[in-house]
Amino acid sequence: MSITKVAAQPNTVGGAPPKRRRITRKIPVLVWIFLAVPAAIEAAWVFWPAVNSFVLSTEKWNGAGAPLSIGFKNYSDLFSDDIFRQALRNNVIWAIGFGLFSVAGGLGLAVALNRTRRGVGLYRSAIYLPMVFSLAVTGLFWRLLYQPDGAVNTTLDGLGLGSWATQWLANPDTAIYAVLVAAVWRQVGYVMVLYLAGLKGCDPTLDDAGAVDGASPWQRFWRITMPQLRGVNMVVFAVTVIDSLRTFDIVWTMTGGGPYHSSELLSTYMFQQAFTSLNLGYASAIAVVIFVIAIGFILTYLVRTSRQED
Amino acid sequence: MTTIHNISRRKLFQGAAAIAGASLLSGCVSSGSATGGTSATASLTLQSSLSDPDPKAALEALVKSYTKTPVTLNTVAIESFRAQLPTYLNSSAPPDALTWYAGSVARDYASKGYLLDLSDLWASSGSLAKFSPALKSLSTAADGKQIFVPTSYYWWGVFYRKSMFKKWGVEVPTTWDEFLAVCKKISGQNVAPLTMGTGSTAWVASGWFDYLDLRVNGAAFHRDLLAGKKQFDSPEVKNVMAEYNKLLPYVDPKGRSYSWQDAATPLMQGKAGMYLIGAFITSVAPADVLDDIDFFRVPIIDAKLPVAEEAPTDGYFASAKTANPAATKEFLSYLASATSQQTYIQTSKSSNLPTSPDVDTTKFTPLVQKGVEMLNKTDEITQFFNRDSSDALQTTADTALTKFLDKPADVNAILGDWQKAAAKVFASA
Amino acid sequence: MTASTTTDRAVPRTPKNPKFAGNGHAGNKGGRPWLFHGLMIPLTLIWVAPMVFVVLVAFRSFDDIAGRGLSALPNTFTFDGFREAFGAGAIGQALRNSVLVTVPAVVLALTLSSMAAFALSRFAIPGRRTILLTMLAGNLLPPQILLIPVAKIMDSVGLYDTRFGLVVIQVAFGMGFYTFVLHGFMRSIPREITEAAVVDGAGALTIYLRIILPLCRPALAALAALSTTWIFNDLIWSLSVLRSQTKMPITAALLNLQGGYVSQWNVVAAGSLLAALPTAVVFFTFQKHFVSGLLVGSDK
Repeated sequence: MSITKVAAQPNTVGGAPPKRRRITRKIPVLVWIFLAVPAAIEAAWVFWPAVNSFVLSTEKWNGAGAPLSIGFKNYSDLFSDDIFRQALRNNVIWAIGFGLFSVAGGLGLAVALNRTRRGVGLYRSAIYLPMVFSLAVTGLFWRLLYQPDGAVNTTLDGLGLGSWATQWLANPDTAIYAVLVAAVWRQVGYVMVLYLAGLKGCDPTLDDAGAVDGASPWQRFWRITMPQLRGVNMVVFAVTVIDSLRTFDIVWTMTGGGPYHSSELLSTYMFQQAFTSLNLGYASAIAVVIFVIAIGFILTYLVRTSRQED
Repeated sequence: MTTIHNISRRKLFQGAAAIAGASLLSGCVSSGSATGGTSATASLTLQSSLSDPDPKAALEALVKSYTKTPVTLNTVAIESFRAQLPTYLNSSAPPDALTWYAGSVARDYASKGYLLDLSDLWASSGSLAKFSPALKSLSTAADGKQIFVPTSYYWWGVFYRKSMFKKWGVEVPTTWDEFLAVCKKISGQNVAPLTMGTGSTAWVASGWFDYLDLRVNGAAFHRDLLAGKKQFDSPEVKNVMAEYNKLLPYVDPKGRSYSWQDAATPLMQGKAGMYLIGAFITSVAPADVLDDIDFFRVPIIDAKLPVAEEAPTDGYFASAKTANPAATKEFLSYLASATSQQTYIQTSKSSNLPTSPDVDTTKFTPLVQKGVEMLNKTDEITQFFNRDSSDALQTTADTALTKFLDKPADVNAILGDWQKAAAKVFASA
Repeated sequence: MTASTTTDRAVPRTPKNPKFAGNGHAGNKGGRPWLFHGLMIPLTLIWVAPMVFVVLVAFRSFDDIAGRGLSALPNTFTFDGFREAFGAGAIGQALRNSVLVTVPAVVLALTLSSMAAFALSRFAIPGRRTILLTMLAGNLLPPQILLIPVAKIMDSVGLYDTRFGLVVIQVAFGMGFYTFVLHGFMRSIPREITEAAVVDGAGALTIYLRIILPLCRPALAALAALSTTWIFNDLIWSLSVLRSQTKMPITAALLNLQGGYVSQWNVVAAGSLLAALPTAVVFFTFQKHFVSGLLVGSDK
């Protein structure tokens, strides 16, 4: 690969650039290389395949032989596809549930565990620990917990809530939420760690000053702490959107999108179309939809925050 | 290319000789085990989806004892194997041989020119000459060439525990009414008569569908249905669902959360009565229950129809792009030989049946011999829903049948949706 | 505020006397340790319960699970699962492969993205915001749909079925996000720090190596920990660019353990625990940096 080029010419450094207030104007060649190499790699291995996929989304192809160009038929078919609409609906539920609960849970825990207290390290570690398991493995053992005689129903029975017990993953009304719980369980620790990092960066004197002025902890949190967490919020938002739209392994291992597509997400439906049914063109069209949604989310957010900054 | 850079490091790895097979084109096949006799490119890759421990070990042993050409075995779990199959066959240096099953998918790849013509193995002088004509036609592509080497098959049946049947005071049923009576009697003793793991393995629900269709409408209709020539919302299929509906009160509802393996546990524990499943169920039986397991054929409903059974057939095909067709064919002949089949079946602890007529079946367990006997007395053989149609059609069946298990009253709407989904699959094929 | 001062505070110090514990800051509701612990202990127990369950399964025997079901309490204790995972499951070699891919991928990805972030955050590259967002956008593509084109391209350049190919795609696919995070962090480093160096005649490379990178250490450590968990736990890329079993990473090996017919849950559970160990170690080693590291310019 072209990585070696960088090492080959390490001394192409320009002279002292003229002093500017915000940003250095004159750009040394080395800096261009610094940018060009990573950009080229991403272009070659992410964008070029992506372009291939976009092209594929206007074709009919089953992985063997020559693809057949069919224009935008795949997209128009999507609109009349009930399963696609169900998946889209589920994705909305998923994005909201996953985002809301993991962010609220993670932030709450971060605030609660951001003080020096006996056992705090232990709690933090325990809550982060699920993150070290891969999503596929997480799905695997939550499936066991949700079995009809599994730990979840047994616990409900023990609490006298036996009537709540159901076949969580086999019941089309609960399947998606049951998977959501497992995904949030894994994600909360991650968001918590991000917010803990952010809270460490907050200026404690501001909070103390607020306390002296008689502001309640609730007010201090929203008026003083939250504004300081803007940068972290940005990362949390990006991570949450990426993770929620990309969610695949955990649903695939827990329900496979079933029962009868009730927990289908766009990603699982796409995978099924691509690799089980070998409708690669149609699957690519679904992927393009996922991409457009993700981009929409992120751009809206970035444009809004950058406006606030300017 | 980068393969060259990696060579020195690769030599450190055990499988070095075999990996060289994948990098034939870079001309670096100097690694150790290729002994002088054969040509320079004598190394093969076998891509296998047999990831279950015993079959995997059995195949490993077979490959290891093959001395003519060094062979590398790569095992990839079936789900990923299926997803990667187009990539495998498309790549510039595809695996020489691959495990797969007989049926429409193999024929589809053959029609695209991805598969090696194996006709000479099937010719009268070839190593598979003595295999049954049924197997030969199963292995034949649309253009009349053989592209598949069947090495084993298995049967489906209603499995039960002999001691439990005795305990519940029931006899093996031979007619449909007797079968329903047995279900009723077992359920009267607070035992679920039927277990069926349709949670993560929804295809299990197709077992009963296939059989009821075979018993109610016959094999000819069933084949037409799966080929798109008959409708899923036709009166014939509605009759099938009416019979299926009679079973539903006896099916353990917990099975909707189970995989097929999980659903076998209640059967082993005596908490469920019977299980319509493939003979592979013996691989999940604990050692102390194994001898207690028996099976009977799905009872006849319409005696006028020729008796049909499902017997999915497994085996190998080869890539058309293999650099060494002669060695590949020789290797496939080895895998299909009577001794290899015998060794494989015994060491894999499966209840598979041999395809070679030369295998001595008398050494197999009584259960397997019973399976052989049942299939020998059968008029018609089908594979299984997905093998007779496609994996795409299987997903439509999974949706329809799991929904039916939940909401049997909606059967007409479900069949209507099924037909629509199936039509879409046939249109995109 | 610079990163180095926060590092010191990031280590959670457990006071000897819980009475003084409530005197910290940042949203402290006052000294009610019993309430705090009364809530946290059950929550933590619920949190670790699923993992305890996996541990229990890992130590059961196959016949115990097959005979009495997965959810039953163990009546056997055996290392069979682990032995099997290392033996037939070839977890040992798979772990090695995972490390051989993860380490170079993390190092390369962070090196390259820190270079890109440096260029984008400290220089007036025209359209830098667009470039940054485009790179991030690459991360938003659902990987499933890139699988087939990527495998094809890998094949055409001779990288298919090589570990290096897997490293390349992991680097390329993660780069957008890493660059985005590092860009945020680098932007928060005060301009005066580098300007002084420029006055002293330092070139871009010197500034990058001597000033920016050391200051970014916490962010780099945090990203290293994050990307390690991502790359180590990845399954889908390895399945699509590798074919040889001898090169497959741990996640693929685990998948093989759940075969089509037999699921040896004890072996799967044992394998999962073994697979989780390296990421756990990485995380707990980096935890200190981690907590301080993802400041991400929050105090810009």
